Amino acid sequence: MIDWIKENWIILAVPAAVFLAFCIVGLWARRVLYNRLDKLLVKSGWGGREVLVQTTRGPFFFWFMLLGAFAALKISPLPAEVQVLSEKIITSVFIISIIWLLIILTNRLLTIYLAEIKSPKPPGKFVTTGVRVAMLLLGVLILADYWGWPLTPVILLLAAAILVAVVASRDTILNIFSGFEIAAARNIKEGDFIKLSSGEEGYVTDMTWRTLKIKATDQHTIIVPNNKLVRETVINYGRPLKRASKPFHFYTRLHLKELTGLKARNLTDLVNVLKAAPDSVTYYHTHHFLEEHQFLTPEPANDFALWVDDSLDEHVLSEKLANIDTFAYFSLDALNSMIVSVIEQYMADNPASRLVKGENDFHFLKSNSVVVPTPYFALDLREFVEVLRRITMDSLYYHIFESRLRLQKRSNDFSVWMRDSIGEHDLADKIDNLVPYTSTIEAMRSFIIQNIEKRIK
Amino acid sequence: MEPDMISQYNNKIEEYQAIVGKNVIDELKLLGNHLTGKRIQNINSTFSGGGVAEILSRLVPLLNQLGIDARWDVIQGDDAFFDVTKKFHNALHGRDQDISDDDLETFIETSRKNIDEMRLNADVYFIHDPQPVMLVSRKPELQGKWIWRCHIDVSHPNQRVWEFLNQYVCKYDAAVFSAPAFSQQLPIRQFMISPSIDPLSDKNKELSSGQIEAVLNKYGLDPAKPMIVQISRFDYLKDPIGVIEAFEMVRRGIECQLILAGGTATDDPECAEVLDKVRERSDGIPDVKVLLIPPGSDIEINALQRAATVVLQKSLKEGFGLTISEALWKSKPVVASAVGGIPLQIINKFTGLLSHSVDGAAYALKQLLSNPDLASQLGKNGREHVKQNFLITRHLKEYLLLFIALDHESDIIYL
Repeated sequence: MIDWIKENWIILAVPAAVFLAFCIVGLWARRVLYNRLDKLLVKSGWGGREVLVQTTRGPFFFWFMLLGAFAALKISPLPAEVQVLSEKIITSVFIISIIWLLIILTNRLLTIYLAEIKSPKPPGKFVTTGVRVAMLLLGVLILADYWGWPLTPVILLLAAAILVAVVASRDTILNIFSGFEIAAARNIKEGDFIKLSSGEEGYVTDMTWRTLKIKATDQHTIIVPNNKLVRETVINYGRPLKRASKPFHFYTRLHLKELTGLKARNLTDLVNVLKAAPDSVTYYHTHHFLEEHQFLTPEPANDFALWVDDSLDEHVLSEKLANIDTFAYFSLDALNSMIVSVIEQYMADNPASRLVKGENDFHFLKSNSVVVPTPYFALDLREFVEVLRRITMDSLYYHIFESRLRLQKRSNDFSVWMRDSIGEHDLADKIDNLVPYTSTIEAMRSFIIQNIEKRIK
Repeated sequence: MEPDMISQYNNKIEEYQAIVGKNVIDELKLLGNHLTGKRIQNINSTFSGGGVAEILSRLVPLLNQLGIDARWDVIQGDDAFFDVTKKFHNALHGRDQDISDDDLETFIETSRKNIDEMRLNADVYFIHDPQPVMLVSRKPELQGKWIWRCHIDVSHPNQRVWEFLNQYVCKYDAAVFSAPAFSQQLPIRQFMISPSIDPLSDKNKELSSGQIEAVLNKYGLDPAKPMIVQISRFDYLKDPIGVIEAFEMVRRGIECQLILAGGTATDDPECAEVLDKVRERSDGIPDVKVLLIPPGSDIEINALQRAATVVLQKSLKEGFGLTISEALWKSKPVVASAVGGIPLQIINKFTGLLSHSVDGAAYALKQLLSNPDLASQLGKNGREHVKQNFLITRHLKEYLLLFIALDHESDIIYL
């Protein structure tokens, strides 16, 4: 072996020297070229400078090495068929390195550029993976063509694979196209309050090319696929309104009727029981009809007025009791005293008290309230009005009636919050001045919604 | 609860959203969250026949869906026991009834057997009506909360029977009645919870005109002739004879037909006797049909109510009278006696017409048959009234509130 090398050293040394020369030239060229390129790119202020320089430096030298190897091969005494095969291998390595470089370079550049798109956030991983796969396929096709492999089966195979991939990620692709549509239309932005025709509503907290996140009024996050978003009718109420210093937490109050076992057969009984009755009895008989007879307009008067009319035929007293303005009282104790004094005054003026007709005794009931927090909060008037549309009558009843009189807050909860937490004094006064006893709960709901809508229009 | 009872009624709670709204169902779930895992054992005397079994068969599965461990069991008794409890039932409704010492002994003996043999294991024992009332004797041993749910009109009870039962009722933590007039002077808390109907049940769901027609054909009824319908068990307290008398008065001036349809209950041995008397009284009167409907014929009852021009409920006594809510739910004009829980459902001249006598019932029937606009308006109001106050979702809510209220003394409870 050593003898053979001694005899043929020149045949080996020349190609090696050529290869080495290319390496040296490559190092020199890289130094010169990259110094100039870097200066040029610095001057241009392009953000991808560092990525381009760092990513291509290594391959640049590698390509000179391949060129050196190619040239060395050409002048080597190797047999022709070995030379052809080696050339093909070197060319293939060159193609692979080019594809590899393109993949790395595009991935890095995409990462930089996609990060700059704030809303909707592009699906970075999806895009980079897609580009990577496309480049790889391109590389495979070029190599197949170069090596003379039959392309038709490869293309068919690729087409089938693409078809499978498209079917499998149909929803994702649809969402991305929809995301593109949403981004292009610029109708929705992060921070907007939107409402979908399918019922979802809230502030948009995050937008990507695939989904949109909404913070609902019950504090849950709703994720809406973009494809659904473009198919639904969306009302965009725009940017957030003035935020409240304290959120309004909606409660509901459910009531259970408790029987006291007490009854009255005449006015004297009625007054005697009323004088000793707890607030919950007064509250029940002056309020329960508001909930139970929603469908009747005008709604019946309080139970005492109805009973003295129907069962005692005391029509004048009935009118006096019906005319007591419950809205004027801020405590049940005061309301109870007023009812008692009206009856006592009537009895003093009309001493012949009548006995109940038949078996229509007045049965005293009381109201047990169970107050339950709902998951709904409002931090501004938009959220408030949207929750107001969906809460039950019980919830509305609690905040309007129960708070004002039974819990002795002197005002309804809505007005208190609007005044104290959001500074909406006019609106608060309007709701405060609404007399709830002369309209149905649903009519009150409409009144409040209309006034808030008018204010935030 | 028997497995077939569970599988028979498996409406999902969410199915009621279309009728009462999502927010109402959400409220039920909110309450259910506060009672998760609570064991409620319902006990009555029969799995089938009558309003109590019907309500329990619907409520228990819904309570389970809300996360509550609700069960339903029945006590055992022989014919002699149920004869006595029927007498109790009549006596509590205020009818004259001879109750002998032997009757009380029979009641006590069967109750003791049930006390010894029944498996009781719950946080809340929900005892329905007088038949199982003595089970409360095991309260000191079992602890838990005990509720006596009275479905009967006890506004004027026979004092002997009431005093006998009262010694057990007083041992409960709470009693539940269906109407204010049923409340008593008791040392325990008393709540008012009205019964309810299930809008998704076979008895109340929407039917096609073909289905209604098929039922009318089956019973040979003329759909073209105005139809007065009373649906109720054959029971003296439902006054079927009074219904026939009222019909005779109406028919003198208005062409119409009367359908008296009802079934029997396993805990009511009197039904057959009443049915015979009704058939005897109606014999020879044209346009009167007496139909004995077998148990489980809910679709047929539904069809008869929907085919009715006016629905009548001329009871002499009535615990509540769910057939009225059923008729109102179908937007039917109703004439009913002002007894028991009926005035809660019929607000006179708003959701129907109340009567106090055979003459009153006849007069009201004539008014409605002659004034279709009035009849239609009353029916419309009636449906709204039921929607708001007598559907199963309201009932469910109040039971949940009751279980919560048992653990709190104050009038305002914050959860």
